Amino acid sequence: MDRGYWIRSKPAYTSLTWHEKASAHLVLASGMGGMAVLKLFQQMQPAQPVTVLYEKYGQNAADYSEILQKVVPENLYIYQDDDLLLENLKEELSVSRMGLRIYVAGSEGFIWDVAKTAALFGVENYDIMKEQTDTLARTVYCVHCKAMNKNVTTNITKCTSCERMLFVREHFSRNLGAYMGLMVDVETPGEFAAIEEIYP
Amino acid sequence: MSTLNVKVAAIEQVTPLIKHFTFVNEDGSLLPAFSGGSHVVVAMEAEGRTYRNAYSLMGSPAETEAYHISVRKQENSRGGSVFMHENVTVGMSMKITQPVNLFALSKLGHKHILIAGGIGITPFMSQIEDLKMMGARFELHYAFRAYQHAAFVNELTEKCGDSLHCYADSQGDRLDLNELLSSQPLGTHVYVCGPAPMVVAVLETARTLGWPESSIHNEEFTSPPVGLPFKVQLAKSGIEVNVPGEMSMLEAIEAAGLQPEYLCRGGVCGRCELNVLENDGGIEHNDHFLSESEKASCRKIMPCVSRTKGKHLVLDL
Amino acid sequence: MKPNFKQESFRGDYSYKNSPVAVKRFPFPFSEDNYMYSVNIEPHTKGKPGSVYEFAFDIDEHYVSECMDKIITLEEDPGRYTALPHMMGAQWDFLELAMTSLANDYPDYFSLKRSGSKWSWENKPLGIVDVFTFGDKSTLPMEPFEYIGRQLQGDYVLLDQRDETLYADAGIVTSQADWSLAFNAGMSWKEWHGPVPKVTELGVLDRALKYLLNLQLGSPVRRLNWTMTINPRLDTSPENYPHWGGDRTKVNAENVADLVNLRVELQTLFRLPRSNAIVFGIRCYLMSLKDIATFPRWAKRLHRVQKTLPTDLIEYKGMTIYHPFVIDWLSQFDDGEELGFGTQPE
Repeated sequence: MDRGYWIRSKPAYTSLTWHEKASAHLVLASGMGGMAVLKLFQQMQPAQPVTVLYEKYGQNAADYSEILQKVVPENLYIYQDDDLLLENLKEELSVSRMGLRIYVAGSEGFIWDVAKTAALFGVENYDIMKEQTDTLARTVYCVHCKAMNKNVTTNITKCTSCERMLFVREHFSRNLGAYMGLMVDVETPGEFAAIEEIYP
Repeated sequence: MSTLNVKVAAIEQVTPLIKHFTFVNEDGSLLPAFSGGSHVVVAMEAEGRTYRNAYSLMGSPAETEAYHISVRKQENSRGGSVFMHENVTVGMSMKITQPVNLFALSKLGHKHILIAGGIGITPFMSQIEDLKMMGARFELHYAFRAYQHAAFVNELTEKCGDSLHCYADSQGDRLDLNELLSSQPLGTHVYVCGPAPMVVAVLETARTLGWPESSIHNEEFTSPPVGLPFKVQLAKSGIEVNVPGEMSMLEAIEAAGLQPEYLCRGGVCGRCELNVLENDGGIEHNDHFLSESEKASCRKIMPCVSRTKGKHLVLDL
Repeated sequence: MKPNFKQESFRGDYSYKNSPVAVKRFPFPFSEDNYMYSVNIEPHTKGKPGSVYEFAFDIDEHYVSECMDKIITLEEDPGRYTALPHMMGAQWDFLELAMTSLANDYPDYFSLKRSGSKWSWENKPLGIVDVFTFGDKSTLPMEPFEYIGRQLQGDYVLLDQRDETLYADAGIVTSQADWSLAFNAGMSWKEWHGPVPKVTELGVLDRALKYLLNLQLGSPVRRLNWTMTINPRLDTSPENYPHWGGDRTKVNAENVADLVNLRVELQTLFRLPRSNAIVFGIRCYLMSLKDIATFPRWAKRLHRVQKTLPTDLIEYKGMTIYHPFVIDWLSQFDDGEELGFGTQPE
């Protein structure tokens, strides 16, 4: 890739800050995302009601649950794994009202799992504030066999389903929550660039 | 701009100030299908000039034997609504544009709150047909001065039943926007059409409550503001055009015989954008299209609604 | 002039051939000696009789074989057709547009009779006869978009207009130049153009989007896009890249003129009435370098364009490995003659 060349489908994440205009706030966090939640509450305690769903451990076994219990004033729910968190998120969203602002902090995989859940309730992903933490690992969609490969930390990876060696492009699908993996050695079978772990 | 040749099939006085016009295709065939919320621009050939006004299509998008529009006679009319009321007769031939939609329903919304003020009810009439066909949840909140000025209440009651809520100012009914917009489930979209203060109130209330921009939709029936007369030079055409106080620059250029590009004629779509080559005194930007920096640089202008603050203006046309 | 529909293949033995008529009407895309992206949109109005621009949807001598190839691709990978649920209205809009156009423009091949919502459709070249209720998908053998998409040459994408942009929310895509519908479904304009180099800096994408957001009923537009393909292969999808990618390494000085095809996409965009969506058609024309060189003006022009093409474009279009052979072979036709503006063959 040339310098200055930027694939514009790759999402850009931010650092969480409270929306000034809101009726209520809902914060979802996983693992080191707990730190992002602490940063939020250090900015201020919002006047509106806040609910926080936190999954401890995430990608790097980080657990901020004890500190969060000291800082989050009300409605803090702690989970052991993200499936449980996502189930409870559905319940929360089903009784929420327009005016709710949604924030998420965690790995990219967690972020888009949350976005997909919120989409079931008509929430657009670009209306969710997102902070990427824990890891730069990517979920890779093998365009040949359509399998999803999670937690890929390298630039080239072997598809767990069809076993082709895939180059992971920066082209990202929000619907799938994944990057495209394309067979890397079609024109030069067995030969490809060095595998580098540049998404730790 | 592709035009349709239509004939006025019927005119109905709906309220003291509002007339309902029915158009059919001149050649007897069906008119094009359209999407709820669309409008057409009607060309009115008067002496010495052509008025062009946008009017929302009210009928069912699925039944296009005829198009239906309603026109409110404006107090400070620049001529268009007065022309429609006083000069248009049954049987008359007119030209209209193909339908254009700048006020489309969200196909992904889980619920739709429609808020209409006065003649602003018109785009919702076709939108509710689409909503019913989609089987979508919706509410129509219709505010007006008094029942005698409220068009189509009976028809709407038939079509919407309990989803229709009416507010007559003269009877002291008040639409509590805060209450309405703080009690909606996620995935609701709000749509407003009516006089400017009402539109502003809905937008402000929704934004303050924390509704994201993507869920807020509005259509404002702006007529180009009147102002001081000025002259504009068209560099490429080599002519100078007089713009009277009560005409927009776009209308004046058209009256001079040119056919500049346009679409909404209300400063929102950007189609008529022109480059400013010279200007003294600054530009009165009345549009909602240019960015703040574009407005400040005074190098672009929307001739459909904007004017010059100075005396001398040269455009790249 | 009625073409005889050919029986030919776009894979395997690649028996595809262009008749002299097809060669002459080829939409050669280069009007100047060098190429850069631009918003080269023009009104899609009725073009010269016999040209690819004459009708809304162009049917040529490859119609039947191309439709057969499409069926094979869809059978092997149903994911080459997808439609998000909210696009059903747009599906019917497109079926209406396609059927009315085809019946009107090619009355020898297609006929459409409508009585209220009862429609009768006949497609003689493909031997299809169906009676159905417009708006009721249970009366067709498959969803309306797939039904009519299978009877047209080229790919089609339905774009939903919302939030000041366009979303690729439905598609039937079997002859794409290396992009995946399964991956791109649901993407916005900016997202699906993400991988294209240079185009964002040029502002071309933003201007094109603004124009398309105001695309009007009854005023469709078109533009040309191009790339190169080894063998006259329609299915150059990323999905099947393992099957066709290796062909790039087989090009040499002897076979370059037969193997390398200039692939031109005639892209058309129509506003749809009930859904307010836009249909984006991508109609693909394949012509070998050998056939192109039938017209020396084209050979010279193509040589100059390829010689001055920026490296990142060559790379993005996948031509890097064999590009030197292309330039070499074309150079024999280029005597430096001043050609002037225009894409005409002579």
